[in-house]
Amino acid sequence: MTDPAIVAQGITVRFRPLVDRKPTLRRSLGRMQHRVSEEIIALNDVDLTINKGEAFGVVGRNGAGKSTFLRVMAKTLRPDEGTINVYGKTSTLLQLGVGFNRQLSGRRNVYLGGLAAGLRKKDIDEKFDSIVEYASLGDAIDRPVATYSSGMFSRLAFSVGMAIEPNILLLDEVLAVGDEAFREKSLATMRELLNKAGTIVFVSHSLASVAEFCDRAAWLAAGRIRALGPAAEVVEQYREAVHAGRA
Amino acid sequence: MPATSLAPKRVTRAARNYLSDLWSRREFAWYLAMGNLKARNASTTLGLLWWVLNPVLLGAVYWFVFGLLFDRDVSEFGGLLFVVYLLSGMFPFYFTQTAMTGGVNSIVSNTQLLANLHFPRAILPIAALVEGFVGFLTSLIAFFLIVGPFNALIVGVTEATWPSFDVLWLIPVMAIHLMFNLGLSMLVARLAVPFRDLNNLVPYLTRMWLYLSPILYGPVTLERAPDWARAIAELNPLAPVLELYRHALTGLKTDLPSTFAAAGLWALALLVIGAVSFIRYEGKMARYL
Repeated sequence: MTDPAIVAQGITVRFRPLVDRKPTLRRSLGRMQHRVSEEIIALNDVDLTINKGEAFGVVGRNGAGKSTFLRVMAKTLRPDEGTINVYGKTSTLLQLGVGFNRQLSGRRNVYLGGLAAGLRKKDIDEKFDSIVEYASLGDAIDRPVATYSSGMFSRLAFSVGMAIEPNILLLDEVLAVGDEAFREKSLATMRELLNKAGTIVFVSHSLASVAEFCDRAAWLAAGRIRALGPAAEVVEQYREAVHAGRA
Repeated sequence: MPATSLAPKRVTRAARNYLSDLWSRREFAWYLAMGNLKARNASTTLGLLWWVLNPVLLGAVYWFVFGLLFDRDVSEFGGLLFVVYLLSGMFPFYFTQTAMTGGVNSIVSNTQLLANLHFPRAILPIAALVEGFVGFLTSLIAFFLIVGPFNALIVGVTEATWPSFDVLWLIPVMAIHLMFNLGLSMLVARLAVPFRDLNNLVPYLTRMWLYLSPILYGPVTLERAPDWARAIAELNPLAPVLELYRHALTGLKTDLPSTFAAAGLWALALLVIGAVSFIRYEGKMARYL
């Protein structure tokens, strides 16, 4: 009865960071010959299935592989090993305002951001008014985005991100956009998405919002899944481990 | 791994898929290019005028040094005034120069887009090229305004005729030049991802290239040069393109079939090398950011 939205099998991602040590001339010259030094394994053989209609949380310490995993799901990072299948239209809100140019007007940025996310111009023409209304920007839409408050910026960016009407939403710490009223509105929009059998993958350090908002969660540690299950339980396990200094 | 397999059928299918992906995102490339152009224009007082001013000011410097101080004769430049010869090379060269500087930054300065969104990455160097092309077209209008009077002066004095229908050659020449610049732009964009140092190198490379191109010297100057220097100058991939531009812009005759063949082959080779190396590397780009 549950259809998968995202199926990850044996995902491994390795990084070879360039800026790892103090850069000296000898080392930079050496680097030209031995690039394959000191790998970092960001994700290590991760298997995970996320279902349609599910709000899925990912918790873990900095550098545990959370963002890497989101980027694999967003298909911006090709894994070294393993396969990733994503069934549906994905909107990625790992950062807000991707593709925006702050010197240009809000109007121009709605088009830039929408086209960057994969919309066509005529779709944006149609949705333009509702995007602006959702972001409650009014006349400010014709001002350069550089003059916006951070709340206005976030509202516009979130509104553009939702305009592609995704089935799958990949979120990274952006639940706290705008003021309280907009927060309520964005949460309502996301619940609506879930009700329409949409999927949300949510990476956060705010354990309370993961426990409150998500159905299931995974705890990533050093590139592996340490725990997987109902969000409240996983969060509790993770919290205990952090307090005990074991995470 | 399918991506590295080189079975011909698979390659053509992959190429077709990539091109249709690109085509479906053409509006994005256009908005990106126009957005950058607009932002740049908004942030400088003179805006688009810089596209004219840059090659003109650069030309003025070289005209002062090589035209006034060295006092060159028109016979060195096929009968063209040095200033006409100089500017008819400088404007197209400046387009290639911006294609390189734009290309080298196109990936590394858009890390946010790369980290977050899935789209054919070639959009970025293409957008940079489109932006440069719009500027180049604008600058050509100014070229005719500046150079027209000078050219009219020498009609009847030399073989060059102006104005003439030779201007129409601009269309195929620009098509070849665009291929040339796109290949170059994708190549440097790809190389700049693992070797950020390229960013610092590009200004010197383009300066060197300018000196090695038939812009400051004419065909006669080349005859006096040592053999090895002439060999290098003749191998310059940009030389045939510049000759064609000169034919179209000033009416200075060149052997069209052979020059077109040379320019076209260089452009095609650069485009293939640039595009293939760029696209094969695409999947890895995100991990260097």
